[in-house]
Amino acid sequence: METKKQFKWYTIFEYEKEQDYLRNMHRSGWKFVKVKGLGVYSFEKCVPQDVVYQLDYNKEGLSHKDEYLKMFDDCGWEYIQNYGGYSYFRKAVATDGAAEEIFCDEESRLEMMRRVLKGRMLPLLLIFFAALVPMFIINLSNHDYLNVVCIGSVLVLYTVVFVMCFVKFRRYKTRINK
Amino acid sequence: MDQHIKKVYVPMTETAFFILLCLRKPNHGYGIVQMVEKMTGGAIKLTPGTMYGSLSKMEKDKVIYLVREENKRKIYQITDLGLEVLDIEINRVERLYKIMREEMRNGN
Repeated sequence: METKKQFKWYTIFEYEKEQDYLRNMHRSGWKFVKVKGLGVYSFEKCVPQDVVYQLDYNKEGLSHKDEYLKMFDDCGWEYIQNYGGYSYFRKAVATDGAAEEIFCDEESRLEMMRRVLKGRMLPLLLIFFAALVPMFIINLSNHDYLNVVCIGSVLVLYTVVFVMCFVKFRRYKTRINK
Repeated sequence: MDQHIKKVYVPMTETAFFILLCLRKPNHGYGIVQMVEKMTGGAIKLTPGTMYGSLSKMEKDKVIYLVREENKRKIYQITDLGLEVLDIEINRVERLYKIMREEMRNGN
């Protein structure tokens, strides 16, 4: 069986992009097999087909995995794997062309984003304030400028990602409340 | 009724409404999905991500409770608090419906 691997990196709130990527791959004849490491996606050659991919982030579900997956299975969603707290599901687009999703209202979409924020952002914020910021200050006061530049760039990168995430979350929230 | 329950369930989402309506009798998530599809003639298809999240949230809010587990499916039923908020919602929808009919009849 012909296979291929691709490296992709998605930040915290880019699961929609990731879903589109997997769907497009399947459409062009590459069926998603697994993702591991920092983002190495494995595919195997298949008959091109329109298959919707969906990611859920639900730690509570994962701790009751049997009945969590049963619910998706009952509704016709195939479970692929769990990766970084996300569960990967797929379902072929029905013959009438209706693409299904695993969420059917805005509240539950927002609720999932909240779970992602709590599960993925809080630990990052903790590292940010408990380790990176103090390290930056210590090196700065020691005049160790090489370290200052290194840690400084990580700090900037982190901040950019944080701001992007919050902007996206806020925008989404206001859209719902309108 | 505490503030949180009031905020979330008065008024409530369509999903919560259907879940409470169906859970006047014990049922599991997928059973509710099927019931709602039948009730609405296929117009409303509840989805597993929404269902799973809603059911566990509603269980925490004590508007539904876990009756038992059967073949990996959790079977829930409405609580007295759930019946109370469902009743408020039904009255709200009825009021809206009456106002709408009245306004339409008056040709406004």
